[in-house]
This record gives sequence, structure tokens and C-alpha cells, in this order.
Amino acid sequence: MILEKGVEEKTFYLNLGPQHPSTHGVLRIVLEMDGEYIVNSDPVIGYGHRAHEKMGELKTYQQFLPNMGRVDYLHALAYNQCYCMAVEKLLDLKVPERAEYIRVITCVLNRISSHLLWFGAYLMDLGAFTPFLYCFDDREHLLDLLDGLTGSRLTYCFFRFGGVPVDIDADFVAGCRAFVSRLRSRWDDYNNLVTKNVIFINRTRDVGIITRDQCIKYGITGPILRGSGIPYDIRKSEPYSAYPEFDFEIPIGSTGDIYDRYIVRLAEMEQSCRIIEQACNKLPDGPIMAEKVPKRIKPPVGEVYQAVETARGEFGMYIVSQGDVKPYRIKLRTPSFANMSLFPEMAQDNLVADLVANLGSIDVVIPEIDR
Amino acid sequence: MSSQNIIQSLQPILGPDRLSELDYAATGCHLRGEAQPDQMPALAAAMLEQKFYLESPTALDLMESFEVVYHFASFYELCRLVVHVPVAVGVDVPTISQVYPAADWYEREVWEFFGITFSGHPNLKNLILPEDADYHPLLKDFVASS
Repeated sequence: MILEKGVEEKTFYLNLGPQHPSTHGVLRIVLEMDGEYIVNSDPVIGYGHRAHEKMGELKTYQQFLPNMGRVDYLHALAYNQCYCMAVEKLLDLKVPERAEYIRVITCVLNRISSHLLWFGAYLMDLGAFTPFLYCFDDREHLLDLLDGLTGSRLTYCFFRFGGVPVDIDADFVAGCRAFVSRLRSRWDDYNNLVTKNVIFINRTRDVGIITRDQCIKYGITGPILRGSGIPYDIRKSEPYSAYPEFDFEIPIGSTGDIYDRYIVRLAEMEQSCRIIEQACNKLPDGPIMAEKVPKRIKPPVGEVYQAVETARGEFGMYIVSQGDVKPYRIKLRTPSFANMSLFPEMAQDNLVADLVANLGSIDVVIPEIDR
Repeated sequence: MSSQNIIQSLQPILGPDRLSELDYAATGCHLRGEAQPDQMPALAAAMLEQKFYLESPTALDLMESFEVVYHFASFYELCRLVVHVPVAVGVDVPTISQVYPAADWYEREVWEFFGITFSGHPNLKNLILPEDADYHPLLKDFVASS
């Protein structure tokens, strides 16, 4: 009998993905298991690699613009903005104030849509179906707004070097106000349904704790970092565009568990509403494109680093120009890449049942990791 | 304020005249440093001591040689340091993954895309490219088919 001889202690391998609904994209994780506990995990990434950085070297500056909507498709406008700002720095272009306001309004709307999608999809990961329907209902109104202005629902390519191509009108501003008040009327529903839900609290409290020390060593940014209690938001700490003109707070957590990250994201949606409201009230008149934008973008020799705050953390672009119509090198520093590299440490010695809760709380967008 | 702290802590490692202040409005960085490959582990340890995080390590193919470029930034104050490390073809760069675990993935990425080896790296294998890829796509002489 095997049992009488003594069972040899052995670990086994479990394969999560690459086709799995909870990985939110084509991600594979090789898990070394000891019974129900994870001993080691190794994320296998790269299934969605499209060589954006190589494409950047082969295309002219304008031709690369549409790529930016396809790196992180959930917060595409922040990526648009980062690239435009980096090239504007190289060209020393000054963007008109009204264009900055339009950038901020659309970017923040896009941020809410990303957080709403996370909210719905994450709760579905945890087994709750209803919040998903609530969020997608709200998100639909937002997508209609952005669709009317930019012409697309997801992979936006709306900003241009020197400004924005289309002005917003009174209808759009009224639509923004209506959306904000609609979303605010939903907070009670969200809180009653999820925030105070005892099943949700028990599944997320004290699970997947990330310390501040880990955040620094891994370069963690975004809601995860703020959930761990470090009030770092690039819109505040390295102010850009029109953000310094608005009054908003940086929500932070204390323990750094999944529940804190959830609270941070929910609070950020309310802060986003505040920014939109203020921007609609203070919207200045004026041109929406800089004067004298060259037809042929050919920046002088130099290099630039530009960082923006996206829904998932810091997105940075490092562009090296050698005075050509094509960039010499474009490096994309994406937040999920750094955040995902912490995952093995998060998952270690945890139950496999918490794996999906952990993974979803990072809010990964796989094409952004793979680039 | 912070720039001065960094200059003070990095000068013993890099030697004099290796650090210069940059125009932040034009480049997005406050400080630029130039380091030799073997100075990187000490530099990384000094940056971690200042509570900086590793923002974006990458490389440049300059046709006849390489440059590994590290960006460091801080959660607590506005200060960004860019370090350029000139690397001749075939020369290894010591890993900084024992200081910054984040560098583990970044160095694997640079290794597979540029062919620059990081000595002492615990797990130098392909990250984004297929397991059996033996080409380095971000080299300038790698021709992309369209």
C-alpha cells in the first residue's frame, strides 16, 4: 500500500492560460503547486507582441500615432497624450489652453471607462455577475460621448502634435455633465452591492498585500502603489497639461491589500468626475491647434522622457531623435509590465483560490505588457 | 535639493565630471550620468538607498557599439536621473537584478532584443519573443519584413 510506505512529498505543475477567461488576454502562468498552495509561479508573456518599438523606428512620427491607441486599448487617450507631449517637447511646440482642456476632459473620461471595465470584470472574476451589467450600462453612455467626438469606441487616435483636431461643442459639454451626474447617482448602488458586501470583503481583505518596499523595488505605480499608501500620482507630482488647474485628491489605502486597491479605484472615479466638472466650468475659448505646426515633423537631435498617469500607473516614453523624420528609438515603459513582474511574489505561498483575485487586482492589460 | 543629494552619493562611485544637470523642460530629466558597466551594481544600490525606483531600463544600438540607458525616478520628490552606459559589442554588463528585482524582466528584454548579456543574471532567457528565437529584432541591421 502506498500510504503505509509513506507518501513522497512532491509538487506538481498547473498551467493557467494562455486561453483562460480570468487572464483577460493571452497570458499564461506556469504554477508549481503543493496541494492547494502555490510554491512558484512563472508568468509567460509575449503572445501579443506586435513589435511596437520596432515599428516606431520604421515609421515617421505621424505614422506612429495610431499605434498609441493599441498599446493599452483601455486607456488609449493617455498614451496618445504621452506621445504627443513627448514629440511636442522635442519640437518645442506650445499647445493652446483650450486644447489642453479638451485633452484632459477626454483623457479623464477614458480613465473612468477603464476603471468601470475593471470594476465589472474583476467582480465577475470573483463570481459576481450583476456589477458587470451595471458598469457596462454606465460605460456605454461614456463610450457614446467619446465616439461622437473621436469617431471610435476603443482604440482612439484623437490627439495631434500641437493640439486636437476637432473642437468640442456645447452638446458634448452637456453630455459630460449629464454623465457625471448619472455616475454619481450610481455610487450608492455600487457601494450597497459591492463595497459593503461581506463576501467581497472576506475575499479581498488582507489578501495579496503589497508593501511599500516591494513597490520601490519593482517600480510599481498606479492604484496598486496608492493602495499601499504612497500618494504618487504623476498628474500631481510631475504636473502636465492642464491638471495643475484642477482641484482633486489622490486617494490612498493603508494596508495595501486588494480591498484597498478597490477602494482607491472607486474613489478615483469620483475624483475624475470632479476634474471633468471643473474643466467643463472653466473651459477657455481659443484655438485648438498650435500655430506653425510643421507639415514634416523632423525634430532636432536630442532625447526626451515623458511620463503620464494612466489608469494602471506610469506610462513613460523615451524617444531618441537623430534629426530624422523617423525616431531613432522609441521605448515604451508600460505600467503593467512592471506591475506584472511582482506577481510571482504576490502569489507565492497563497492558495490557488486567491490567484484570480490577486491577478485581477493588478488590472493587467496584456497587450500593454507585450507591446 | 534632491539632485544635490544624488550627485553627492553617486560621485564616489562614478568619479568626477560624470554627472551633469539637464534642462528638465526640454528633456524630462533633471540629471544625466555616464557610467561604466561595472559601476552599475554600486550605482543601483546607491539609488535604492535614496528610495528611487527603476523606471525604464533599455538600450540603444549605435551601429558600432551599444548604450544601455537606465531611468530612475522617485515617488517622494520630482527628480529623474538618466544613466547612459556605453557598451562595446561583446562586452557584458553586470546585472542589477539583485538590487532591483524589477530589473530581472527588463534585462531579459534588453538581452533578447539587442543581444546584450547581463552577467550574473539568474534567469537570462527569452521573455517576450518565442522560446527558440535566436534573433535580436531591435538591432538596426535586423530587417523587418512588411
